[in-house]
Amino acid sequence: MSIINFIIENILTQASITIALIALLGLVLQKKSFGQIISGTFKTLLGFQVLSAGSSIIVGSLIYFGKIFTQGFGMQGIIPSIEAINGQAMNELGLGSQIAFTFLAIFIVNIVIARFTKWKYIFLTGQAILWMSTMCTAFGYFAGFRGLTLIIVGGVIGGIFAVAMPAIAQPFVRKITGSNDIALGHFCTIGYLFEAWVAKLVGDPSKSVEDVKLPKSFEFLQDTYLSVMVVMVPLYLVTAFFAGPEFGAQFSGNANYLVHAFLQAIQFVVGVYVLLSGVRLILAEIVPAFRGIAMKLVPDAIPALDCPVLFAYSPNAVIVGFITTTIGTVIAMFALPSFGLAMILPGMLTNFFAGGTAGIFGNVAGGKRGAIIGGIAHGIFITLLPALLITILNSLGFVNATATDVDTVAAALLYAWIITPLMGLF
Amino acid sequence: MFSFLTKKKGKKDNESEIKEPVINEEQKNELYKQIKELEENLLISSAEDRIKSLNTLGDIFFQLQETDQAIQYYEKSIEENRTLGKAYTNLVKLYNIKRKEAAWAKDDEKLQHYLNKMDMLLKMTKDEIRGL
Repeated sequence: MSIINFIIENILTQASITIALIALLGLVLQKKSFGQIISGTFKTLLGFQVLSAGSSIIVGSLIYFGKIFTQGFGMQGIIPSIEAINGQAMNELGLGSQIAFTFLAIFIVNIVIARFTKWKYIFLTGQAILWMSTMCTAFGYFAGFRGLTLIIVGGVIGGIFAVAMPAIAQPFVRKITGSNDIALGHFCTIGYLFEAWVAKLVGDPSKSVEDVKLPKSFEFLQDTYLSVMVVMVPLYLVTAFFAGPEFGAQFSGNANYLVHAFLQAIQFVVGVYVLLSGVRLILAEIVPAFRGIAMKLVPDAIPALDCPVLFAYSPNAVIVGFITTTIGTVIAMFALPSFGLAMILPGMLTNFFAGGTAGIFGNVAGGKRGAIIGGIAHGIFITLLPALLITILNSLGFVNATATDVDTVAAALLYAWIITPLMGLF
Repeated sequence: MFSFLTKKKGKKDNESEIKEPVINEEQKNELYKQIKELEENLLISSAEDRIKSLNTLGDIFFQLQETDQAIQYYEKSIEENRTLGKAYTNLVKLYNIKRKEAAWAKDDEKLQHYLNKMDMLLKMTKDEIRGL
């Protein structure tokens, strides 16, 4: 008994070890060689430590940003970054082990649903499942769940989302791809459907955006980190300017306050870079193992793939979706504070990937006009939803960030608005 | 939110897999004749025509359900010209067919191979749309 207690209290509470053990399990189930098992397990352990280091860098930068923003504009300015939320939850809030187990539980529930019901979707985007397990764990914790219950409830809710989201998107995916072979596995689906709904109301699907000639590419987006930097640097500089040199000086030491702000913006980008490297290291070992198992258990599965799977069907719509969603997020940024909500700054990566995919939905439902108007509405929608989480995120101890992927936000709101009050009844 | 659980029960099954048209012997022979011509043209055609021919060869082999050959031509097409189009969209479908075959055969190595190919294709799509 004391050995079991030791394991539970000292090993399974250490997120890095838990995650490494999950990878070990996956590698053993795949019947990998001893050498591969050892190297895979340790790479995962390393991945978690890299993720934690990235998170600390992000938090340092966000604390600074939060202070200068409040000083400069007299309100809370929130950066939408699911990476920052994941890093803080796993590291600073100490929910790493629970998140890792919930991740595993979501995968299992997904397989069970796909195996025994007619909804054959297997969600293959590992990163998105990690974000979902983060939100289910953090908000499950807020609802009062602990231990095994926290993991099981998170696994069931996340697992249902992993099947339900591809399922509700499938009528549109079928229209876009002309077949039922593949599905969309990206937790921004509610936003896509919202755009499609708006586009249907205002547009005409026969006038496709693909008939228009658009610029081929956006060079500043060529590098993920560069594109984050393009937004963060001016954001930090303008905020520091409004906060003033005196206020800025208390953080900048001997350096000029604007130079310090510039370097803090770069620090944020570095943090995202390091954190995502850690996530990749972790997922590179865990995901192949479990998706291999899933596919063997459900051979007739419809794989739900990451959003670029639709890009080749409608490249123009991706560009239109990105631009219009960005316009929508900027409108929402200025509009939400007048409704008493926090100011949510635009997240360019979400705008590109979620906005781009939403553009395809808008185009298929309402053509050119639908994609443009629907895209702006989508931008407002994906800013409004995360804004609703701020109070709870603050009370949980998250620093100046909110989630981005709207399905994970919807899961969080399900906990906050339905499950938490229900828990209060018992 | 979970209305999808009940919604589809009574619905007509108009959403089941889109059925491939059945090809008769005569059509098959015609397609093989086309293949021969296109393959000969590949050696002499200009770069632009070559991509068109590679994609058409991919399409024909896909129609004939000769997945490996179709994959080979589409992959070659993307290798030579990365513009997003049918080669990408059909390749995902073809990889998925191979993935399914491997899953039924419980061939783990092949399964991972095609899942990884899907990953690679998605990454290429991402890079291409961002102009990399």
